[in-house]
Amino acid sequence: MVAMVEGNGAVTLVLVSHSAQIASGLAEMAGQIAGPGVPIVAAGGAVDGSLGTDGGRVLDALRAAAKGAGAVVLVDLGSSVLSVRAALTELAPEEVERLSVADAPLVEGAIAAAVAASTGCTHAEAARAAEEARGVGKL
Amino acid sequence: MPQKRPAVSGSSEVRVCLPAGVALHARPAGTLVRAAAAFTSEIFVSANGRRANAKSILDILSLGAEGGVELVIAASGDDAAEAADQLAVLVPALA
Repeated sequence: MVAMVEGNGAVTLVLVSHSAQIASGLAEMAGQIAGPGVPIVAAGGAVDGSLGTDGGRVLDALRAAAKGAGAVVLVDLGSSVLSVRAALTELAPEEVERLSVADAPLVEGAIAAAVAASTGCTHAEAARAAEEARGVGKL
Repeated sequence: MPQKRPAVSGSSEVRVCLPAGVALHARPAGTLVRAAAAFTSEIFVSANGRRANAKSILDILSLGAEGGVELVIAASGDDAAEAADQLAVLVPALA
């Protein structure tokens, strides 16, 4: 399922996970922390809703997000990364330019990127905010 | 009323309490970070003996500040006084 929350010109978050529930639950959580101004697209699960990734859904999500202010893309593991890479090869160069894939932990990265996006930053800055999550202690 | 303590030029510190029942989690934390991000000054929030960068949501969440807790907000930079003033008004109004 691709669930889109409409925003007002802020950078979009695209969340790619093997689990539809992880993607949609994280979209809900990041949306609550960042406020309603940040569009969040949850692209989780396989075609039939089971665990896995759906390359077509990921491509659709990236294409839809590669407009306006662009998007920061967060991934969980393994084939999520591969499906994003594959989708990027299908997109036009001007679409790819509007996307930043964050090399970051999914949950913390999404929260950091969403709040950064809510302050009106670029997709590259939102990706950097997500990547800084790797160095922030939890305890 | 927040108690203000003027410090050296370009830095400003205020102490304010979170409203009772409003922890610095989720939405209130996001509101604080967004407000802090509007200033060029460095801003730190201390609570429970920990100190967090007010512009980092993950840092702020790691404070684990519960409702009613006193926050020390320290800003330094060109707009430090304005930042401290504005956050001193914002924090007690978080919901």
